[in-house]
Amino acid sequence: MNKPYWYRIAYVAVAAIVILTGILVSNAYYLQLLTFIGINTLLALGLNMLMGYAGQISLGHAAFYGIGAYTTAILTVHYAISPWLALPAAILIAMAIAYIVGVPTLKLSGYYLGMGTLGFGMIIHILFREWSSITGGASGFIGIPPLEFGPVSFASGRNYFYLVWGFVLLSLIICRRIIDSRVGRGLRSIHDGEKTARAVGVDTSQLKLQVFVLSAAFSALAGFLYAHLVYFISPGTFDFITSIRIVTMVVIGGMASIWGALLGASLLTLLPEWLHSFSEFEMVVYGLILMSVMIFLPQGLTRGLMDIYERSKKSQNR
Amino acid sequence: MNDQKKARTDNQPLLEMDAVSKSFGGVHAVRGVSFWLEQGTITGLIGPNGAGKTTLFNLITGVFRANSGRMIYDGKTTHDARINELVRRGISRTFQNVELFESMTVLENILVGQYTQTRCGIWGSIFRFPWMVREEHLARQNAMALLEFVGLEAYAEQKSGDLPFGWQRLLELARALAARPKLLLLDEPAAGLNIVETAQLGELIKKIREQNVTILLVEHDMSLTMTVSDKIIVLDQGVKIAEGLPREVQANEAVIKAYLGTTG
Repeated sequence: MNKPYWYRIAYVAVAAIVILTGILVSNAYYLQLLTFIGINTLLALGLNMLMGYAGQISLGHAAFYGIGAYTTAILTVHYAISPWLALPAAILIAMAIAYIVGVPTLKLSGYYLGMGTLGFGMIIHILFREWSSITGGASGFIGIPPLEFGPVSFASGRNYFYLVWGFVLLSLIICRRIIDSRVGRGLRSIHDGEKTARAVGVDTSQLKLQVFVLSAAFSALAGFLYAHLVYFISPGTFDFITSIRIVTMVVIGGMASIWGALLGASLLTLLPEWLHSFSEFEMVVYGLILMSVMIFLPQGLTRGLMDIYERSKKSQNR
Repeated sequence: MNDQKKARTDNQPLLEMDAVSKSFGGVHAVRGVSFWLEQGTITGLIGPNGAGKTTLFNLITGVFRANSGRMIYDGKTTHDARINELVRRGISRTFQNVELFESMTVLENILVGQYTQTRCGIWGSIFRFPWMVREEHLARQNAMALLEFVGLEAYAEQKSGDLPFGWQRLLELARALAARPKLLLLDEPAAGLNIVETAQLGELIKKIREQNVTILLVEHDMSLTMTVSDKIIVLDQGVKIAEGLPREVQANEAVIKAYLGTTG
């Protein structure tokens, strides 16, 4: 098949768009918005591996996002460790916690797994808020340093935009490669029928744990990038609502689709900005848009738009 | 009995069940069943509905744990072994109601079937080491060969859920073979197939035996069971009531009674 060939073209296209956008867009506000899209894409991408491909829900992914952000904040501010060392530390800590939480939790399925991860997310959120000697408590954590790499400073909006999107592109490639491998097929087989997957020899519990840990790593990376972008973090950013928002990005963008994560993250980041003009009706319109997407494109944006495209092509041929 | 049959009897048994029992609450699904399967033979497992055939399958494949009794597979006990470990050791199965990965392609279904035969993990897939590329290539070749064996090679890229039912059965059989089984358990493989398809299936089953795969077959279609089986085991209400050559079993009084009710 020509699939790998098309993937390569898609990667090059994304890279070209990113580079061009960085050159053409000079408005700081827009650049920051695009950077946020990148960070949210990382979150959605990680959860999509777990939810879209393996079919396992997590309502507590904001916890890993927060663990990434707080780990780098604590290490760089309290211990004056270089952010570039704090990054692997943040990811490893999130992965370790995901492993410890995942072993008992992933034995659950369906609603029960949702409740389990929900509880986990709440515990971590309360920890951020109440462990004030380390996390700064409810008032937040200030003074997170900007990122620098030798002579290159990422304090500027443009450089940070490039940094974040570099990570996004790398993550897209990593996810694509996993999905197209034995591991990815194993994950999808769990989604289609866990009992059957087990019966043909797929080690489902090990695989679910691995993908849970992997998605935690992506979330921690997003948290790290978020912390060094805004220099200030507070528990409110990593609460239950954020977990739900990540789930929404995956569902709206399209489950089991790499590009769906990108689309879902873009829509959910941009929508609130566009809807400012509705002032007090903002949330109403926001909700209505999400509802209509689900009603008219129940497979998510990626699948839905592709179906519309294919249908129009067919009717043209006729 | 001819010499060929005798030679088979001298073989080491691949699977030995020794007084195996399983109950669910107060229901005794399988009660003290003992038998052995000789290497490279086809054994038909028959019995009325609720006789415990499917429970027996689930015991052999490790889905259920026996309450008592011993199971020796390939010289070693299967007690406490996990399902995927048993698949790796060569026990493979198909299902009564075809259970494919419907959103995946025909080829991908077979590739999942090779899960225990391949070993690429997350790191291997990210970095695409040369050995992983070779493994993937080989896996695809094997998968295509299996599709050719069941005659589905032209549909490799189709979504498996879109295949007609008879082909789905064949695909499931190919997926079970992808695990390179020594023991293949077929749970009503002819259910829902027409006469022609059933005959083709019979030929395939015989061909699989030629590759020295031992087969345990649950089947209601007596014409298939009686023609392909070397030995028949009859279960009724969780108990083994007869065992022997197909024509011996057909003449067995207990069997007739179990199927037709008491003769007064």
